[in-house]
Order: sequence, then structure tokens, then C-alpha cells
Amino acid sequence: MAGAGGGGCPAGSNDFQWCFSQVKGAVDEDVAEADIISTVEFNYSGDLLATGDKGGRVVIFQREQESKSRPHSRGEYNVYSTFQSHEPEFDYLKSLEIEEKINKIRWLPQQNAAHFLLSTNDKTIKLWKISERDKRAEGYNLKDEDGRLRDPFRITALRVPILKPMDLMVEASPRRIFANAHTYHINSISVNSDHETYLSADDLRINLWHLEITDRSFNIVDIKPANMEELTEVITAAEFHPHQCNVFVYSSSKGTIRLCDMRSSALCDRHSKFFEEPEDPSSRSFFSEIISSISDVKFSHSGRYMMTRDYLSVKVWDLNMESRPVETHQVHEYLRSKLCSLYENDCIFDKFECCWNGSDSAIMTGSYNNFFRMFDRNTRRDVTLEASRENSKPRASLKPRKVCTGGKRKKDEISVDSLDFNKKILHTAWHPMENIIAVAATNNLYIFQDKIN
Amino acid sequence: MEVQKEAQRIMTLSVWKMYHSRMQRGGLRLHRSLQLSLVMRSARELYLSAKVEALDLETPSTPTRCPDPRLHPPREAEVPAACVPPDGEPLSPEPMDTQEDEEEASPRAAETLARCSAHPARVGRKRRSSSLSNGVDAGLVPSKKARLEEKEEAEDASSEVPDRLLPPPAQAEGAFPNLARVLQRSFSGLLNRGPTAPPTAPPARDAKPVCRPADPVLSVLVRAVVAF
Repeated sequence: MAGAGGGGCPAGSNDFQWCFSQVKGAVDEDVAEADIISTVEFNYSGDLLATGDKGGRVVIFQREQESKSRPHSRGEYNVYSTFQSHEPEFDYLKSLEIEEKINKIRWLPQQNAAHFLLSTNDKTIKLWKISERDKRAEGYNLKDEDGRLRDPFRITALRVPILKPMDLMVEASPRRIFANAHTYHINSISVNSDHETYLSADDLRINLWHLEITDRSFNIVDIKPANMEELTEVITAAEFHPHQCNVFVYSSSKGTIRLCDMRSSALCDRHSKFFEEPEDPSSRSFFSEIISSISDVKFSHSGRYMMTRDYLSVKVWDLNMESRPVETHQVHEYLRSKLCSLYENDCIFDKFECCWNGSDSAIMTGSYNNFFRMFDRNTRRDVTLEASRENSKPRASLKPRKVCTGGKRKKDEISVDSLDFNKKILHTAWHPMENIIAVAATNNLYIFQDKIN
Repeated sequence: MEVQKEAQRIMTLSVWKMYHSRMQRGGLRLHRSLQLSLVMRSARELYLSAKVEALDLETPSTPTRCPDPRLHPPREAEVPAACVPPDGEPLSPEPMDTQEDEEEASPRAAETLARCSAHPARVGRKRRSSSLSNGVDAGLVPSKKARLEEKEEAEDASSEVPDRLLPPPAQAEGAFPNLARVLQRSFSGLLNRGPTAPPTAPPARDAKPVCRPADPVLSVLVRAVVAF
């Protein structure tokens, strides 16, 4: 099960033994709003793990190389770089404050020693370069070691500066700022497989950018109606196909997904494929419309499937079949009868994300009470786990949790009414190749690993 | 009755949420506004269908003039079915009259909404303060609600938002019983006429965004308050 994804026997999620590895973040009960994690993303190799928070900061963790003295322990993730990506801004024209909260981070594939990532808030996308510096030049002729200029009359000899090792310093610098292209709030960014372009999506429009060009972008989708009174749906997420650089999908608040091909026309308002599951009339309720809104869409690594998350379920779609999903997994069906209360406390508007494992054999998504759910697509088994400080002993196995939906509550089960709806797991990430997962629980980041060695 | 109460509660809650959402950092969120208005619409439909069912069981009441819905004592629309048989005869000419009245009343209601809201609207536009609360005319009561949803659905109503102040939520809540009555009067007339009821001629309309897919009933109400 360890090592390169997909090798060996197809492991079920229940065959995984998830163990606590690390937790990052403050222990205080009082959570500062700025510390709430708003996005989590592994890079392409999985060596770097980036988080963004509501305060506009990005924290990057790096996996330590496994040490020879403890060959069986997995590498830990430690802080590599921290920087302020976005600051609060004020739009004077609209008298609006623009939040600094990082909505999404997407890594670029690595092309040289430096690492690049895109981070975005509601209005502005930034390309950051994270580079290491472990040498510095010493022995300048015209200035001292501390930078002060030397008195020219004191210089009697000439010397060649030499490079000396120094403590590793990781610098983050903004290389590009892509601004002023979105009237509405940006909900997604996605790097194209051509490694040259990326898309950004807001409620009504999707723009295509070139990574080198900041003063122009192409609008490729525009669903704003001529008469805003006719608005019935908004774009909720968008992503490029992992291999076909001309294909992307976007999801809507009505529970539909449109696949577009940029070769067909410059403005992709007309979709190439339209994915929608017919509504089950028996499950129709007062809040049906809003719980069908898709909060996240993710292509599988293979590019054959895509996964969508709505409020109560995760669905896997085959790109070749538009009529209905090939799999539907219930995340927390026991909440269906509580929708009215969830509307009152605003939880019904929570936007959960979802992710695939490296081999596309398992999917994961979050829930309430710091629970997160994993579904194995091969064995059809699912498991509920909890991210909590109580289970934070090193390498402690996570015990599966169960929610009691009615009737007699068994030991170790938790009843629906006891769930803490303030503890929600909206953002999760799975290492692209290994069984390591990162789970964001409010202001804490939990890292779990599969107990293999 | 329970259904009506629940629907009304949800409508109240939704309005409060819309009001509250413009207070948050980052401004109005289009998706959130759309979702809130969807719930509002469902709640209203539920409320109205429950009302219509209740109406089927009893005598329709005489519609009052729009300008002062609050001045008229809240009329209990639900006449117990038991009362009807004894009053059968004298009531029979009445339903026909009131039905005609209702049909006439609905377009008129919309127009009077426009007229009576026009003045306080202008006042409200100039006075950018919570003086709207004391300037509240009866006509503002129903139109205020439509204006609330209309604004919440605005694309970047962010620019318009600071200009229009809402009365405090308590007032919005207090207005609901009357709003419900006005809605009932306006819509039941339209309902009787059938779904193809043409809306009244809209007054000058600026691009006030409302996310209603060509809903004539709602656009009537919305256009009436477009003077804001």
C-alpha cells in the first residue's frame, strides 16, 4: 500500500490504518478568526503542503527527509515558509471591503529549484515564488559585511568575494499580480496541464490567464444574463482537465456540471457536455434547491472521472456519461431531516471540498463535529474518522466513528443532536502518491498517515 | 396553520439573513443572496398555497386599500368553516363581488404600492440615514420587503447597498403579518385569474437585479418599488 500510488493490491479505505501524525496550530479554545484555515493543498510531489487562512497568510510545510537513524518512521512536515499573501483592501468605488481570506492555493509543477504557487482571495490572484537561499557572498570590496559602504580611501587591496554557506533562508516573493479581472467573488483557480495558462472563476464568469501576462485575460465563460432579474444560477467551482489542456468543467448552484472545450469557440458559453442527475421527486423538500448546489468539483488523476460535492453527498461522474453519476456516496444523510435547523444556523451554506487519493481508488470529504469521511470505490466501504486533540498521541490509530441516527444509541456512538456544528471540516487534501492526508479543522491542521511500516 | 406559521417564520428568518449578509466583510455574496431568495420563494409559495387552501374553506374577505394595511385591524382570514353554512345565503352574492374586487384590486394594489411608496422612497433616497424607520409609511411595509430581496439579489449591489438603509429587522418582523395580508390580497387575485396574469405596466425601471425567472407575481411587486 505504501509507495507509488496504485501499485500492489487495491487497498480499501478500511484496510488503511490511519494514524495520527501531527497537528499544527494553536490549542486555545478561543479561535482567532484570522487563523481559520481556508485552503489546503499538496504540491505535485507531496513534499510541500500549503495552507491559507482567513488572515491572508500562507504557511508552507515541508516534509523532512527520512533519517537514516529511524528508517521506519515517515517524514514529518515542518514549517518551511510563512508569508502574508493578501492584505485587506478597500474598493472605494463600491464602498466595499475586500477580504484577505485565501480562497484557494494551487501549486505550479516544479520546473527549477524554486517553487511557484498561485494564491487568490476574492478579487486578486498572485503568483508567488518560494526559493531557498543557503549561500551568501562575503568579502565585498566596497561595503562591509553589514552593508555599510567602506571609505574608499581605506581600501588598499582588492579581493574577490566568495560564496559562503549560511543558514537556510526561504524567501517568498510575489512575481505576478493578476488583478481587476473579476467583478464577483473568485471561487476557483486551476492551473492548466500546459503549465502556461490557468483559469479563475467567479460567480458569473471564468477567465483564462497566461502566467506571464498580468494585464490581460480572456473571458471564456460568461453566464451573466442581460437582465439580472433572470439570474437563476451561479458558477460555484471550475477546474481544468488534468491532461487535456483544452477541456475544463464548471459546476453550478443548481447541481449541474458543464464540460467545455476551448477548441470549439472562443467563448465557451455553450457546453460540450452537460452533467445533471434528474431529481428524485421523493426526496424533494423545502431546501432541495440549495442543498443541490455543488460546492466542489475535482477531476480524478486519470482524467476519466470527476467528483462533485453537494451538501449531503459526493458523486462520482464518468465523463462519458452525462445522464447520471456512476457513484453516489452519502456523507451525512442523517442531516436531511435537520435542514431547517441547519438553515437557521447557516450551516446549510457550508462549502465542503472533496479529494481523490493518488490512485483514484478512494475519495475523502469533511463533515461536522470534526468528522471526515472516506469512501473506497473498489470495496464500496466507507469510514468516518475524527480529527481531535484527544486522539493526538503519536502514531495512535484512529478509531472509526459512528453517528447514531435514531433509536438506541450504542456505546461509542454519537447522536445527531450532540454533533458540534461549529467544528466543521471543509478542507482536506490527500498526498498525490502516498497515503498521507491533511485535514483542516478550523484553525488546526491535522496530518494522518497510514500505518504501514 | 402550522405550515403557514412555519413558512412565515422562514420568510422572516430569510429577510433577516439577507439584511445581515450585507453587514459582513467582503460585501454581498451573489451565491448566498441567490440561495436566500430561493428559500424565500419556496417559503412564500408554501405560505400562499396554505393560505389558498384555507381560503377555499371560507369566505373571502373584502380587500382593503393598500396604503394603510396597518390601520385596518388585522383581519382573521380564516373564518371557521362551521360558520359558513348559517351565513350561506347572505354571503353568496359577496364572494362574487369580492372576487371582482380582488381582481381589480391586485393591479391597483401594485399601482397604489408604487404611488404610496414613491414619496417615501424619494425621501428615503435623499435621507441616507435610518430616518427611513420613522418615515415608514404603510406603503413602505410591503414594498420594503420586496426591496430587501431585490437588493440582496443585486449583482454588485455593494455600490447601492450603503445608499439604501433598511429599517431595523424588528420592524421588518413586525411588518410581516401585514405583509402576509397584502400578499394574500395581491396574489390570490392573480391566482384566481390564472398563471397568465399579465403584470402591470412597469414604471421606469433601472437595472434592479432580481433573481426570479420571469415570475409575474413577484415582478409585479418588484416593479412597484423600483422607484427606490
